[in-house]
Amino acid sequence: MQKLVVVALNSLLTAGLYATMSYGLAVIYGVMRIINLAHAGLMMLAAYATFALNDRFALDPFLSLLVVAPAFFLLGMALYATVIRWLPRSSAGPSMQSLLLLFGLWLVLQNLAYAIWGGDTQSILTPYTMSSVEFFGGRFGVPQILVFAVSILSLVGLNVVLRRTYLGKAIRAVTQNRDAAMLSGVNAGWIAAVAFGIGTAFAAMGGSMLSTLYAFTPDFGRSFLLKAFCIIVLGGMESFTGVAVGALVLSFIENFASAYTSIPVSFQDAISFTLLVVVLVAAPGGLPGLWRMLDRRAVAR
Amino acid sequence: MREFLRRHPALPAGLLFSAGLLLAPVLTGRGTQNDLWNMAFYVVLASAWNLLGGFAGQVSLGYSAFVGIGAYTTVLLSNAGWSPWLTLPVSAALAVAFSVVVGLPTFRLRGPYFTIATIGVGEAVRVIASGLEFTGGSSGLRMPAGTFNFESNYYAMVVLALLTVALVAWLRQSPFGLSLEAIRQDIDGAEALGVHSTQAKLQAHAISSGLVALAGSLFAMNFQYISPGSVFDFRLSLTIVLMPIVGGMGTIVGPVLGALLFSYLQIKLLASPTLRDSYLFIYGGLLVVVMLFEPGGIVGLWERLRNVRLRRRTPPVAEATRAS
Repeated sequence: MQKLVVVALNSLLTAGLYATMSYGLAVIYGVMRIINLAHAGLMMLAAYATFALNDRFALDPFLSLLVVAPAFFLLGMALYATVIRWLPRSSAGPSMQSLLLLFGLWLVLQNLAYAIWGGDTQSILTPYTMSSVEFFGGRFGVPQILVFAVSILSLVGLNVVLRRTYLGKAIRAVTQNRDAAMLSGVNAGWIAAVAFGIGTAFAAMGGSMLSTLYAFTPDFGRSFLLKAFCIIVLGGMESFTGVAVGALVLSFIENFASAYTSIPVSFQDAISFTLLVVVLVAAPGGLPGLWRMLDRRAVAR
Repeated sequence: MREFLRRHPALPAGLLFSAGLLLAPVLTGRGTQNDLWNMAFYVVLASAWNLLGGFAGQVSLGYSAFVGIGAYTTVLLSNAGWSPWLTLPVSAALAVAFSVVVGLPTFRLRGPYFTIATIGVGEAVRVIASGLEFTGGSSGLRMPAGTFNFESNYYAMVVLALLTVALVAWLRQSPFGLSLEAIRQDIDGAEALGVHSTQAKLQAHAISSGLVALAGSLFAMNFQYISPGSVFDFRLSLTIVLMPIVGGMGTIVGPVLGALLFSYLQIKLLASPTLRDSYLFIYGGLLVVVMLFEPGGIVGLWERLRNVRLRRRTPPVAEATRAS
């Protein structure tokens, strides 16, 4: 019983981080209908930016978020203006062309990191990296708890923006129906630029916080990209709540699988990859789609 | 004859080049042959991938799995006492079986979703291969001593490359190739016209993965040592995809040109210490530029230039009659 509580709490802590790193992917998909493969590269770059700020100015990784997130917001807008904007728009779904272009961008970002920081494994050490607190009979790392707190804060903040401001309403409107939003006077091009900026900023926050928990190389981020994609597919691709639910589901499955089954740790990443394929194939609408389908069946009966 | 040559402008050059490849062991030294072996290896990978990715439009980012399956089958069976050459059919058969296992669920996905799922499959295979006991884990495996013979391996690789290109060219104009083309253009339309799309995709996947696994087996025999980091590497999957894209997806010549370009680039990059670390930049930059300006790759660019020239030469009236 006690083990159950500890594993559940661990899953909850991981889920916060997962939601933050996945949200960027979801907002960009929602507004532009493209799958941002460069997400992984942006997370990796943010991890290195945090590392550089910590190394050069001894800035705390969590405080550096205040610098990194706005900087990446601008970087995202710049990327949109220079590259993404010129892609032909498809209303049906993401085009192969956009996927491959963003993939190319990811490779360029990786090379940038190799050129600046080299291929060695890096990690960020703070005075509290190794410390932990004990409650409910389990030990939880301080960075892990801080990451969870920051994730929740950022997600709540984002939710407020999405619900209360014109910008947020416009983003949601374009996500739901681009043409209708444009007819009501929303500047969809500008909204797309802002959404790409927000998506990049959230990728950066995810990457910065990952850097406090894991060691990283320029190759870092691929497994987290696949996890993030798994999460947004689980969450039904575009809704804010969907991302949170998807993050919870994935982190619970991962943590419980490693705590209660004999799946070795080295195979843990394979869980999310397999889950991704299973969900894409069996429930392409994600959990909301599955829910609607079951609901309809119940009504029909 | 002239008409035939006009329709297949790359054929004479291709034949000359093939003859050169087969004669290379007599004419050149070992260094050049190594480069040519590498080139042939990439031609197999690019042309075989093109069958599924180019003709049918199913872009898979998980092809290193098949290189790995071929390589591991050969090394494991050779260590069990088999002759390396006898392992070739087994590795092709295993890759085909795996391609069906992977294809059955993933071919229900369309476009980018299929692509993302293949990244997942490729990564899962790599993670599992690094974790298992009998594959030697992440430290890899060695071929038994005395199995190395560059000469025969060179001929095998060149013949495999020529056969792959010929097979792909033949398949393209066959009814099977046309159904793949129909799937690429409009999968629902193809289904409506009676193409069994899942079956056609599975067949294309099986053929191309079998060829890639054979190349992987020859790779293992040539390099004598394999590890998940060399044959299951994501960068290998990436290179396999980039070659046909840069050359021209869905054409016969495109992937070959792409493979020649990439093997040349690789040789140049590995030789220069400053450029060695920038290959990702070059690959990624090429991908961005190709996708933004000419999704048809080198072949697409060539055709566009030729059309411009033709239009300038033909008077407007003649063009109108030609078009009608």
